[in-house]
Amino acid sequence: MSSLKAAPVRTWHSRTERLTDFVSRWAFMSPAGLILLAMLAYPILYTFEISFSELDLSTFTATEWVGWDNYAEVLHDTRFWASLKVTGVYLLLSLPLQIVLGFGIAYLVNVEWAGRGVIRALFLIPMVVAPVVAGGVWRMMLDPLYGITNYVLGFVGLGPYDWLGDPWLAMLTVVIIDTWRWTPFVVLIGTAAIMALPRDIFEAAELDGANWWAKLWSITIPLLLPMIAATFIVRWLGAVKMFDIALAATNGGPGASTQVINLFIYEEAFRSLKFAESAAMAVIVLVGTMVLTAIFLRGSRMLEEMH
Amino acid sequence: MSDDTFGSIAHRASLRSGDRVRVVASIVAALLFLFPVFWMVLTSFKLQKDIFTSPPTFIFTPTLENYVSYLQRSTIPHQMLNTVVVAFASGIISIVAGTMAGYALARLRIRGAGFLGVLILMSRGVPPIALAVPMFLVGRAFGLIDSHIILILAYCTFLIPYVMWLMRGFFKALPKELEESAMLDGCNRFGAFFKIIVPISVPGLLSTLIFCVILAWEELLFAIVLTNRVASTVPVAIVNIAGDTVNGANWGALTAVGTMTVIPVVVFALLVQKWLIQGLADGATKG
Repeated sequence: MSSLKAAPVRTWHSRTERLTDFVSRWAFMSPAGLILLAMLAYPILYTFEISFSELDLSTFTATEWVGWDNYAEVLHDTRFWASLKVTGVYLLLSLPLQIVLGFGIAYLVNVEWAGRGVIRALFLIPMVVAPVVAGGVWRMMLDPLYGITNYVLGFVGLGPYDWLGDPWLAMLTVVIIDTWRWTPFVVLIGTAAIMALPRDIFEAAELDGANWWAKLWSITIPLLLPMIAATFIVRWLGAVKMFDIALAATNGGPGASTQVINLFIYEEAFRSLKFAESAAMAVIVLVGTMVLTAIFLRGSRMLEEMH
Repeated sequence: MSDDTFGSIAHRASLRSGDRVRVVASIVAALLFLFPVFWMVLTSFKLQKDIFTSPPTFIFTPTLENYVSYLQRSTIPHQMLNTVVVAFASGIISIVAGTMAGYALARLRIRGAGFLGVLILMSRGVPPIALAVPMFLVGRAFGLIDSHIILILAYCTFLIPYVMWLMRGFFKALPKELEESAMLDGCNRFGAFFKIIVPISVPGLLSTLIFCVILAWEELLFAIVLTNRVASTVPVAIVNIAGDTVNGANWGALTAVGTMTVIPVVVFALLVQKWLIQGLADGATKG
């Protein structure tokens, strides 16, 4: 490795040298590229194909091209619309709740004292509890007979509630479990974001005699808005895929009151073996998610440019 | 304190008491969020007769009954092993492939790198069920259903984009002179990457790996669709215990298995908490 050899490296004389350079660049991309092509791009294309085909259940292959038939069938299925509505209600309830609660707790945590690091570390724990475990354990805690939730609520004169038996309470249950599982994630992002805020602005505001409320409303929250938007998008992308908590806690019930779209597609595909219709639903969900994500991303860009 | 002007004393005192309220409130919030985990661990040491009581019991003779009996007569140990194998294999493959690709995107000026970046971001919006259906159909044709390899590869679909994005940001922040001097010293691109870049990235790589393992560890949808007995993982077992409507929920088993799955990841997460939190924040902003 003597430095004498240094000179020729940067020159581009021969064609082979340029080729080697090209190959070495793409060699870095190729392992990830190959896996993602085989396991991500190809399955998506195949889903599109199945969604326009009839599926032969004896060979499990797409056979005949049927055009938009599967889509027409799905769009006329009231259960599909019902599960989209369930998903929508779940998202509308849980996402704002998690963002507000998460950043609120992050604000509380962010006082400089000896225990701050410990508190932050404690919030890591619910975040790594597998969603299925969360669903199962909460199902136990919410049990109308032996659960601890009704017992505790009894002290303040509430309940007993049939958490998993009533359609609305079951939805609330899913929202509570999801919020319990994911708020700590928002708390951790929030504390990191708050700690990264420039201190001098606060000191200047303090000199001007601003109280904590004024500082919170006119400095902290506006400065955090881009980060809040980014966290919202990350949570949206996670929540729209939610499946495990609903399956473990309510299994979609009672009736279909907590059957989020992913659970419905799963049931249709792997219990009823309606693969073609499931593929059509998956495509609709995929396109819908992409469109909404693009809108949210644009919104967060605009928010970022405003500040 | 008494030397200060009156206004500033009052101001300081109110700030301090405000902070005190925040400290107490944050402790209460943390304890509330920890309670379900505490209750799970506590219940896992109860006998059946202490679990199904109304009101719930807090004082009881602890027992290992749930752990011992359930481990002996179930497929849990086998599924634990599967989970470990699949989580680490998919984590390691994703780290290697994702780190190299992230480096290429950050540094090698590949044509269309921007477009590839957008594609990676969009892949986060793909619902796993849209992948699970074709994976099941194709996997069935190739006889790969219920094998470790298909689950490992399936997990790579969400782990690799995650690693690529995180490491791309990480490499962009490194000074360029690092590889330039190595390449002047006669290293080729691979030499510069593996001898210079990788060694200084070890802490970041390790924490990203741990995050990948955690994500794979708790995955349910692909596991439930692509495996049934041989390669099945613990989350599948937990759903089956929790949703057992024939025998009624076996809470002792549920909490024992739950505790066993949660403890290793909690230890992991606490070990690398600094990096984990930074990674979360970066993943949110740069993603």
